[in-house]
Amino acid sequence: MSGSLNLAGLLLAAAPGLPLALLASALWRGPRARLMRLLPFAPLPALLAALLAPGGALVLAPDPLRLTLALDLPGAMLLGGAALLWSLAGLYAASYMARDARRTGFAAWWLATMAGSLALFLVADLASFYLAFSLASLAAYGLVAHERTPAAGRAATLYMVLALLGEAFLLLAFVMLATGEAAGNPMIAEAVARLPTSPWRGAILTLLILGFALKMGLVPLHVWMPLAHPVAPMPASAALSGIIVKAGVIGLIRFLPFEAGLETAGTVLVALGLFTAFYAVAVGVTQHHPKVVLAYSTVSQMGVIAAVLGAGLALGDTRTGTLAAYYALHHLLVKGALFLGVGVAAGRALPWQRAIMALLALSLAGLPFTSGMLAKYAVKDLFGDGFALLLVTLSATGSTLLMLHFLRRLARAPDAKPAGTALLAPWLAVAASSLVALWVLFPVASGAGYGALIAPSALWKAAWPMLLGAALYLPLRRLGGRLPRIPEGDAVVLGEALVPLARQASAGAERLDELIRRWPVAGALLVLVILLLGAALQLSAGIGPLRAG
Amino acid sequence: MMPVPVNDAASLLLVLAVLLPILGLCAMLGLRGLHPERVARVAVPLGVALAVAVLVEVWTGGQALHYTLGDWEPPLGLRLRADGLSAVMLVLSAVIILAAALFSQRQFRTPEGIAGDTRAPFTFWSMLMAMWSALNLVFLGEDLFNFFVALELLTFSAVTLVCLDGRTATLHAALRYLLFALLGSVLYLLGVALIYGRYGVLDIGLLHELVQADPVTLAAVAMMTVGLMAKASLFPLHLWLPPAHAGAPPAASAVLSALVVKAPFFLILRLWFDLLPPLPSPLAGQLLAALGAGAILLCSLVALRQARLKLLIAYSTVAQIGYLFLMFPLAAGPLAFWETIGWTGGVLQLVSHAFAKAAMFLAAGLIAETLGHDRIGEFAGLARRLPVAVAAFALAGLSLMGLPPSGGFNAKLLLLSAAAASGQWWIAAVILAGGMLAAGYVFRVLGAAMADGPAGEAGGPPSPLARQLVVLALALVAVALGFVPLQPFALLGIGREVLP
Amino acid sequence: MTPLVSAATLFGLCASGMVGIGLYGLIVLPDALRKLLAFNILGSGVFILFGVIGRRGAAAGLDGDPVPQAIVITGIVVAFSATALAATLLLKISDAENEPEDGGKDEP
Repeated sequence: MSGSLNLAGLLLAAAPGLPLALLASALWRGPRARLMRLLPFAPLPALLAALLAPGGALVLAPDPLRLTLALDLPGAMLLGGAALLWSLAGLYAASYMARDARRTGFAAWWLATMAGSLALFLVADLASFYLAFSLASLAAYGLVAHERTPAAGRAATLYMVLALLGEAFLLLAFVMLATGEAAGNPMIAEAVARLPTSPWRGAILTLLILGFALKMGLVPLHVWMPLAHPVAPMPASAALSGIIVKAGVIGLIRFLPFEAGLETAGTVLVALGLFTAFYAVAVGVTQHHPKVVLAYSTVSQMGVIAAVLGAGLALGDTRTGTLAAYYALHHLLVKGALFLGVGVAAGRALPWQRAIMALLALSLAGLPFTSGMLAKYAVKDLFGDGFALLLVTLSATGSTLLMLHFLRRLARAPDAKPAGTALLAPWLAVAASSLVALWVLFPVASGAGYGALIAPSALWKAAWPMLLGAALYLPLRRLGGRLPRIPEGDAVVLGEALVPLARQASAGAERLDELIRRWPVAGALLVLVILLLGAALQLSAGIGPLRAG
Repeated sequence: MMPVPVNDAASLLLVLAVLLPILGLCAMLGLRGLHPERVARVAVPLGVALAVAVLVEVWTGGQALHYTLGDWEPPLGLRLRADGLSAVMLVLSAVIILAAALFSQRQFRTPEGIAGDTRAPFTFWSMLMAMWSALNLVFLGEDLFNFFVALELLTFSAVTLVCLDGRTATLHAALRYLLFALLGSVLYLLGVALIYGRYGVLDIGLLHELVQADPVTLAAVAMMTVGLMAKASLFPLHLWLPPAHAGAPPAASAVLSALVVKAPFFLILRLWFDLLPPLPSPLAGQLLAALGAGAILLCSLVALRQARLKLLIAYSTVAQIGYLFLMFPLAAGPLAFWETIGWTGGVLQLVSHAFAKAAMFLAAGLIAETLGHDRIGEFAGLARRLPVAVAAFALAGLSLMGLPPSGGFNAKLLLLSAAAASGQWWIAAVILAGGMLAAGYVFRVLGAAMADGPAGEAGGPPSPLARQLVVLALALVAVALGFVPLQPFALLGIGREVLP
Repeated sequence: MTPLVSAATLFGLCASGMVGIGLYGLIVLPDALRKLLAFNILGSGVFILFGVIGRRGAAAGLDGDPVPQAIVITGIVVAFSATALAATLLLKISDAENEPEDGGKDEP
């Protein structure tokens, strides 16, 4: 890895650097007033870096800090997609939120989240990864909480609690990974290479999967997503559901030891992912709000990606990272475009707008010639030809169902305000880029040629699950309103039943503290502590009553 | 007997570090025409320079500095000594006191003319000087009885600062603090008596060579430790801290929470690592860590429920002191303790908590001045009104929560690594849970401050920017400590290997 | 000729007794003034202990060990200061608590 200062390295540093610099500039009145309009420009260095600097590296701080940036192929794909969506969603936000009284604060959270999420695809050392992950994860709180409604407050609190829980899992995992390393801050690749032989392998893998699954929203850790994504303003929903969930994906790509291959962990991840994929569809079709349906679709798609990663881990296939990133890029752009589209094409929209939304939605189910088909085709190899492949294929049926449901709910939603070019252009650009980027990258990512894609067998493989889904949708639609209404965030209701318990615990702590702080009690405790400490010291020295007796 | 240390020019710095604040105090007492804050304006920067000079001297020299008072060797004479850890503590105190002094220049300015109240400014500045001298004496001392005197001076000045506003509630808090601290002092002194009776010397360096793990010594150490714990407010002996720290003026609270509770902890460190012989079993250390764990879990939960900001911060102090006691079992092991990450993590936690907590108390002071109260429930709109203070609170909160980049994060990471490496998983779990609870109480404040509301309009005029920047600077130091490398520091080992 | 109990032991027992009484009082007595007195008894117990230790040093051929003497003298000064400070606080508290009634009378 070259540590010298070069153009590629500078671009890498500028990728998170420019958003942070813009954020710092908000301390002054002048730039603060223009902050919202600067949002589209902040991710441009990252976009350039993704296009020009794959393979580049930069050591930001030498030993012993070892803060290091490096861009590999999976990182570059996700970085490029994320930068593009951040930029276009920023453009969208500048117009969408022009009259929002708190837009400057929104822009500040936006930039902080952006800096963290872009850095996440670039960092090569453990400490920087944790830093970037925390920044992206915690700053997104501001985006979720922006609307200040009770629903947003509830969603943001839940988001924060679970994000912190995820951080705790990851921190412990990282500490266990780094223990025994000579350097205080090892490179991720070095630490992961030693993971298969670590005495704590099982614990580390469990903690890593828990931490990243929380971010990806794998069942049952998905409960925050259907609450948090829809309450944010439209462009923020796009960023959250498109980009921030990919923090979990890049985490698994970076930290799972694909070279060694771990059968058990891989199988568990496949099972977890596939269960998530179907569970989210089942709950999603009972939802009415189009943004909530989209959030469940994200949960379902992240389930598929987890299954891809799990299958690759079980096989020990080193292409897994690239393939998962390719699939994630498809979801990133398509889901971003769908959320932006809800803001322009809800209700009675123009026919061409509805057509584009339909194409985007069905792309998630793998509609032939769309990015979805390419992504699904690329990852199929990893599943062999057994039961897992059948389930993955059938997940497209589920997606078809969910997306048809989404389109129906979208048409019935209150009409969106008539959108001008300022909203339409970014939306269309993200939609178009999903197609272009996935087609251009297909040979690089999958290693196959375009010829395979237009073979009739490939098209049929993509089409039959969707036809099945469409056929199943007809009876579902007839059932319509008679489906049970599952509350948004489903299992969260069970979790929230614990809240009074937590209240009681903290009230109990307060009462206990009051008791301890009474003078005679504290005095008695003082004497008790002397006796205990004296006994413990004697025992530690081996001259206690045990030895004496 | 050891070689006779010669008092050279560098070692004179140690005497000056103790004497300078006392000279300042004398100037304030003797020259009543001279306003005490003007004396402080000269004495504080000089003191900072002295502390930095000691640090540079220790660091570049790679060995501890000594000063033997009047060339009387121990056991009869007294000695001052600055090793790496003492030098760090000296600089830490000097910087925090500098910040407190800058923050208070206007608040405790002696009014012109006869009408004004000169008592509060005089008490504040003179007690600050007395406290500083006592702190430096604790950090530089070598004699167990000398520590007792320094601790008493520290307690008296701290108690006086707590009840500076003269309200009944703070007077009660101060009395409670004084009486409990006295109980601690007597216990400490009792331990000193036993040690002297057993060995006939009080110099830590001499004791280090003589001491044996016999019942008398261990009983003495237990009594001294618990006496010091009462003064450091370790759970479950924290009854006095929340009302005392929440009632003092903000600059005093900052110094009390950042430094004064650390002085007895520093002595516990010296007792356990420099005096006590290595014990075969870590049981006693684990008992201290268990009390620390109790502090972290219980007091963080209680902090979550506080309605007033200053009480919340005070409970957070009790919780954060708990982290310091986790280092006792974590610094044990085959390595020399100063080469372990547990030791480094504990010291880093001490330093970053000092900066973060000072920033928080000063920020709380600005908030209370502007709003006229510190009820968290009525903070809506505050972020708009006092953006710098709220930002400083948030940055300091980062360190308390242990999120990167911050000194608190690095400290937590080192302690976690030490816990993982030695397989003490319960300590790891406590550290992680404590971080989440801290996030809970920090976000409660920030969430309230960032809501839309009327606090943006009501109350007095906003504080001058200079005071807000002092607070921000402290918080930024806490964040900047997040860029220290994650490994044992050579500086903290200086002077440990060869005790005098 | 040796007495049943040596002077050192007698004083030592005496000191322990005072420490015990002082500790009990400081912990159990509710009134702050009594706590203060208990602290003084506790402190005196410790000083006597130092005295015993200093006297014991005399066995080594010295007239008496000077270090404990210095410690006791310093300790007494410190304890005196502490008592004075605590007494001041007590007086202030009692002033402050009586004030509201006077304030009430001042009103027309």
